[in-house]
Amino acid sequence: MSTISPKQLEKGLAILQKLDDSKLITHLNSCVHCGLCSTSCIYYLAEKDPTLTPAKKVDLLASIYRRYHTFLGKTFPAISGARELNDEMIPELIDKFYGACTMCSRCNIHCSIGLDIAFLVRTGRMMLSEMGLVPTTLQSTVNAALNTGNNMGITYDEFVDTIQWLEEDLQDELNDPTAAIPLNQPDKTVMYTLNPREPKFFPLSISAMAKVLHAAKESWTISTDMYDVTNYAFFSGNLAEASIIAHRMMTEMEKLNAKELILAECGHGDRAFRWEAPNYLKIHFNFDIRTSIELLADYIKTGRIKVDKTIIKQRVTLHDPCNLVRNGGVVDEQRFVLSQTVTDFVEMTPHGIDNYCCGGGGGQLAMSEYNERRMSIGRLKAEQIKKTGAQIVVTPCHNCVDQLLQLNSYYKLNVQIKTLAEIVADALVLE
Amino acid sequence: MNWYTIFAIVALLICVIGCLFHLIRLIKLGKPKDFSKTAGDLSKAITYSFTGAMHPSHKESAYLHLPEYSAGILFHIGAFVSILLFLVQLIGFPIPWPWLVWVLTAGLTVTSVCGLIILTTRFFHKVQKEISNPDDYISNILVTGMQCLTIGMLHFEIPILYFLWSGLLFIYLPFGKLKHVVYFFAARYHLGFFYGWRGTWPPKNN
Repeated sequence: MSTISPKQLEKGLAILQKLDDSKLITHLNSCVHCGLCSTSCIYYLAEKDPTLTPAKKVDLLASIYRRYHTFLGKTFPAISGARELNDEMIPELIDKFYGACTMCSRCNIHCSIGLDIAFLVRTGRMMLSEMGLVPTTLQSTVNAALNTGNNMGITYDEFVDTIQWLEEDLQDELNDPTAAIPLNQPDKTVMYTLNPREPKFFPLSISAMAKVLHAAKESWTISTDMYDVTNYAFFSGNLAEASIIAHRMMTEMEKLNAKELILAECGHGDRAFRWEAPNYLKIHFNFDIRTSIELLADYIKTGRIKVDKTIIKQRVTLHDPCNLVRNGGVVDEQRFVLSQTVTDFVEMTPHGIDNYCCGGGGGQLAMSEYNERRMSIGRLKAEQIKKTGAQIVVTPCHNCVDQLLQLNSYYKLNVQIKTLAEIVADALVLE
Repeated sequence: MNWYTIFAIVALLICVIGCLFHLIRLIKLGKPKDFSKTAGDLSKAITYSFTGAMHPSHKESAYLHLPEYSAGILFHIGAFVSILLFLVQLIGFPIPWPWLVWVLTAGLTVTSVCGLIILTTRFFHKVQKEISNPDDYISNILVTGMQCLTIGMLHFEIPILYFLWSGLLFIYLPFGKLKHVVYFFAARYHLGFFYGWRGTWPPKNN
């Protein structure tokens, strides 16, 4: 690890002075070191390592804040455990902020004071990002998005080819030549987005949603220039890069003049564009935004699509993506959809706002250096799945799908992992 | 007025000014400004943050740690009762009923023991040891000490020790972790804002 320069130090510390409102100093000054958050954290629960508790992560950042910004920390640093940001601290900061937290924010809900611990971890990532210390694996995913328009580096030709054969397959399946996956069509009601994992690895999830949109007679399109719902700069902590990616999506919406942006099944993507992007760009968007989960629920409620719950007879359970549910407020819609599309649905314990993270969030899937730990913390989710006795695990998030597929193999769960769109498509009754 | 009483009053003033400094800074920095389109009711969510979300049955920090949580609650009650009794002592207002003296003695004994248990746990529990620094121990000792000395003052004449110790606590409060007495409320507000904006709080059917 090379020595951090004074310039890097200055840039990193500036993050702790970036006070848009009272939120940052509130949370930096609130932790009482009770440590009771430990049993709400999948990292601590899985590994029983006291350095992995949420309180420890808070204290890493707060100790730096105290050293530079509080009377006690500046004058008597030893008393308040105030620490200098230096070379010695850097490996620990990188490991804890990037490699030991998915920012699932389960600890927030259960903290005895009410700290937004996930916000502080993200602030820590912002600090490291300013210093140019984002893990290379994560930064390369961000770079792919910045340089190619999507985080998988899928070329225009590859993407269009994939969509074209999916469209042909859809037409064959439905025996309907009007079934389409429209690209770059202006003035539609919906501009739909994708997680790049879909065209790269899971193209059938695109077909599933296309089938549902066709059945609902939706006016929709996908942009070839900007279909990527993800924003890995949200994970890396680089606000400038996150803003570039967000701006592209906004520009594309305006260019195609769609009425509503539908965010694909992607927890962090949903959060990063719907809740964070307006604040990156300091703009109130002039178009509507919903997640595809809400759209699917709406289609069923309003009768735009008909579904038959007797088609899917296997036991189904639901994994709640943290950024969609706890941090995004979309809690009931997926449950409504499942109540209409499957016969035997069973919740995990805990579930909903209180769910356990699968362990794949926070950019963990991009950071291969933490693979072992990621599999270890996934044990809690694996145990939850086993206890339900489910044969199908539904999750409205492609990041979670990827993590659950790996957990499925690692812990020999013998389950199918499906997105919500795939379940709806399977239960669809076509007229 | 004695020198130790004057010391305690000055210390209390420092405490109040220090806490006001924190509070005014928070107010000046203000509420979050969110450009996204809200999906929830902010006032209900913030109210929930201070009420339902704090209920022991809704927080793992409570129901998974009932003994520690209960000790913490009692310890805090003891702290606030001690501060109230400090003001009573300062004014020189006598406690009118002997039975109340014994009720307060019994109550503060329990809360002081809670403080000692919390302090001891911090020395030995691996999770707390990892995150503790001298400020944590000093804060506990000052507050537990004040509760013990309050019991003492109810029965004995120990004004010098009592007012000096109380004064030290008040001077220390705005600088160490005890300033969470101000920041706690801001933290609950911000958490309510964050989850309320997104419609997560208050929970619908979950």
